[in-house]
Amino acid sequence: MLQLDMIAELLRSIFSPVRDLILTYIPNEWIMSLPAITLVIFGLLALVVGLKYNPLGVSFIGVILASLEMIIFDPGTMSGYSFGNLFLRDAFSDFFIYIVLIVAFLVLMSSSLWGGDKGTYNFLLLVSFAGALWVIMATDLVALFVAWELMSTPTYILVALSPRREAIDGATKYFVIGLLATVLMLLGIALTLGVTGTTDLHAIGSYITGIWTTPSGGESAAYTLLLAMVLFVVSFGFKVGIFPGWQWVPHAYASADGSVTAYLAGGSKKTGVSALMRILMIGFFAAKTEWAPLIAGVAILTMIIGNVLALAQKDIMKMLAYSSIAMMGYLFIGIAAGNEIGMASAVFFAFAHAIMKTAAFILIWAMSLKLAKRITYDDLTGLSKRAPVASAMFAILMLSLAGLPVGVGFWSKLVVFQSAIIADMWWLALIGLLNSVFSLGYYLRVLKYSYMLDPLEDEKLQLPRASMVAVGICVAATILLLVVPNIILDYAFQAAMVFFP
Amino acid sequence: MQLDFVLNLLNSLPLNILVLMLVIPLGGAVLAYLLGDKGARVITLVITTLELSLSLLLILGTPSIGTDPGGMSHTWSYVLARLGTTTDSPVFQIILGVDGISLVMVLLSNLVVWIAAIGSNHIKKSGNVYYALFLLLQTGLLGVFVSLDLIGFFIFWELVLVPMFFIIGKWGEEGSRHASVKFFIYTHLGSAVMLVGFFYLYFMSANFTVDHVPTFSMIALRDIGLDPIIQIGFALAIFMGAGVKLPVFPLHNWLPWAHVKAPTPGSVILAGILLKMGGYAFIRLGLWMVPEAMARLAIPFALVAVFTCIYAAFTAMAQTDMKSLVAYTSINHMAWVLLGVAAYAAGYNSTDPAIQAAANLAIQGSIFMMFSHGTIISVMFIVAGQLKYSAGTREIPDVKGLMNKAPRLAGVMIIASLAAFGLPGFSGFIAEALVIFGAIVIYPLSALIAFGIFLTVGYMLWMLNRIVFSDPDPEKEVSEASWSDLIAPILMLIPVILLGIWPDLVLSIVQPVVELMLTGGIP
Repeated sequence: MLQLDMIAELLRSIFSPVRDLILTYIPNEWIMSLPAITLVIFGLLALVVGLKYNPLGVSFIGVILASLEMIIFDPGTMSGYSFGNLFLRDAFSDFFIYIVLIVAFLVLMSSSLWGGDKGTYNFLLLVSFAGALWVIMATDLVALFVAWELMSTPTYILVALSPRREAIDGATKYFVIGLLATVLMLLGIALTLGVTGTTDLHAIGSYITGIWTTPSGGESAAYTLLLAMVLFVVSFGFKVGIFPGWQWVPHAYASADGSVTAYLAGGSKKTGVSALMRILMIGFFAAKTEWAPLIAGVAILTMIIGNVLALAQKDIMKMLAYSSIAMMGYLFIGIAAGNEIGMASAVFFAFAHAIMKTAAFILIWAMSLKLAKRITYDDLTGLSKRAPVASAMFAILMLSLAGLPVGVGFWSKLVVFQSAIIADMWWLALIGLLNSVFSLGYYLRVLKYSYMLDPLEDEKLQLPRASMVAVGICVAATILLLVVPNIILDYAFQAAMVFFP
Repeated sequence: MQLDFVLNLLNSLPLNILVLMLVIPLGGAVLAYLLGDKGARVITLVITTLELSLSLLLILGTPSIGTDPGGMSHTWSYVLARLGTTTDSPVFQIILGVDGISLVMVLLSNLVVWIAAIGSNHIKKSGNVYYALFLLLQTGLLGVFVSLDLIGFFIFWELVLVPMFFIIGKWGEEGSRHASVKFFIYTHLGSAVMLVGFFYLYFMSANFTVDHVPTFSMIALRDIGLDPIIQIGFALAIFMGAGVKLPVFPLHNWLPWAHVKAPTPGSVILAGILLKMGGYAFIRLGLWMVPEAMARLAIPFALVAVFTCIYAAFTAMAQTDMKSLVAYTSINHMAWVLLGVAAYAAGYNSTDPAIQAAANLAIQGSIFMMFSHGTIISVMFIVAGQLKYSAGTREIPDVKGLMNKAPRLAGVMIIASLAAFGLPGFSGFIAEALVIFGAIVIYPLSALIAFGIFLTVGYMLWMLNRIVFSDPDPEKEVSEASWSDLIAPILMLIPVILLGIWPDLVLSIVQPVVELMLTGGIP
């Protein structure tokens, strides 16, 4: 019995009549996809309501309903499949879905500052959330592709909708690179389909196990599959923002409106991680010795690129964007380790990163709107005097991201490095740790500006309440999880067990 | 030492005393932040006094070698995180416990923190934030000295950096921001390498435990008999982590910056306790846990120690800033700790009773040196900081005639300087004598470190000559320090003199542990 199950049980017993009602009217095939379907319906509703009224409330109801449906339909007691065998809810996908839903909630809170009053904005966001849920659940490559497009396409427009002029630029870059990723992904799917004759990940997995156990005669198939695997890493890597597809990240993140950035960094990025983990661990599990070094190399390059370039930034949004690239590098250490603790650590890292980065982006966005300019280090000068609470929260987030024991970032990094050591890759852990030290260069600069320099102007900075509450929730969770990481860590291990039955 | 009524008192505490000592400053930090500038100082003084009395109670009521595993007392553990869903999966936990060595360090840190709190009277801006960070710092420092597992140790070790970074950077003088970042990155780099060492040991320990469950517990790691080659890898990692803190020669570059630019109480804590964390790590994680590896590394360590001592003494001689001079004196003195550690490591396995006795002396000297240096250097830093307020500058050539103009300040400064270069009658002498008597039997060439003493005496007296005994310069204003500024250093001189004439007060606590270590320790 895990720690949050009590609450889930309570909610299930409260809503059991509703649950029975839904079960009698909705086809069984749809039940597990119901949260995503709900999001699509409420997205359409928000579009209509948005013609006349502020539709943000509708979106909130949609996200809350989707979360409730997640809880009351427990894949532990009924079949997790929906739409045939295309989508599957298990402990692993549930973990990532909850990440996306939490981020979605926070993003909507922050949207009340800008954009949330427009129907299109809400519609695009909710459809993208729904796509993200389906990407996480997909166990079939074609279904994955369709869901992927459903998630990505709205975000291209959302980035372009930003109040900043350079957003069109960033969105174009994002769109072009996104298209490239799509093409590569299709090529990978085609190669896999051509060799194995199926797009179902489990079937692909058993086919690959067969080839890897009796390689004679199947060499060309094996090489083709390896090419497909590399293509998957590259194409999903685009979304995640790892080497070699990280170039769009800083541009799009810094030019999009902050709520969308928070979603891109906290939510949609994690779907790429989950899809890639599922493909590698279920589809290509037998080829682990082949992909582990590849992922390790990607992780190292990503960390180094992210950290070095983050150090060179003046714009805080860009700095955070590069630091999120670097963070994905740490996460991929866990995937490269490829053992149970590695998977769990990567999943846990994704959660920790989601709450910390979402909060950081929301905070900077609120400040940016308030001051009506891009936030650079100079704007943080003396922040501790002008906005003590905001600057304290930002300081905690930065220290936690840097991996110091003031927040959950400490555990997430520690577990990731430990997984690498257990997989006998101590050099990878060492490189990760040195990178983590290097990253202090830019995290500490934030603290230096906000705490140690005197403000240029004395007037207090009043930040909007909604974003401060959203950030406050994240910071509270960050500190709470330092003391009792097992609340989430247990679920992470349960999620990892999916791959090691 | 164990007194019955103290024992009863300790038993009647609502919580384990170690937990209480860690939690009180944490709660105090929140309170101090909320109470505002005036209240924060009061609450900090109350809490540091309380902590000091608790640590006195602890030292009076606890035997050097307790009955718990590893000769510890007051053992307490708490599981922070379980890596897995089954009950036998590996855990990250905090284990607390004290033996004689920890007891001494706990007393020292509470003493120095208390003095630093009294000496914080010049902190004017954002007092509540300062005192909140100050108390948070105290939790971190105490945690390092009472942790008995590597993860808990690492958490507290890192926790110290955060408040210290803010204290140096925000309340320090011109140039302190750069110093604070340098301090943070240097020490964090050392810690990162040390963490790899921790993990390495953890991973390797699975091959030696009975049921192949890896462990972070120091006691377990010491007892399972790790392979010496594994131990050496770990000892080198410790050298990186603890060597930065101590500091030793190639890793010392952050120290003069941080010490000079920090506000006076910050310098006091940096020199008084943070450096001791390095020395303590060498003893607890090195000598106590992996003695065989340390034995193999003894010669390089001794060389580094002697070189560092003399190098730092020469550098100190060239300084014109009083604080800078004191900072290099710290490096100079902490090299003695490393020499004692090296001498113990070399002599630890010997069958010759004379060598064993020498090793015993050397390590006792090391620990005594940490205590005595912590007290003496606090006085020196407070006095050096006071120069800024009394004479307007800390530049040694610019301050003249202190004896005539400010006799009280000059008196404290003279006593502290004499103690610092090890005049008999002060604690510094006992420490240096113990280390050198031990080390010289094991490595005769280590007598070279006496050249360091010679230099230290030289530059200290030269400094006194220039500042204190020179003729007053009529153009320069020098005012006397007020009593409120002198309370802290004068209080701190009490242990300096007391330990100089009665060293057994500390040594009798340390000795049983050292003897036990020499015989291989108990599980």
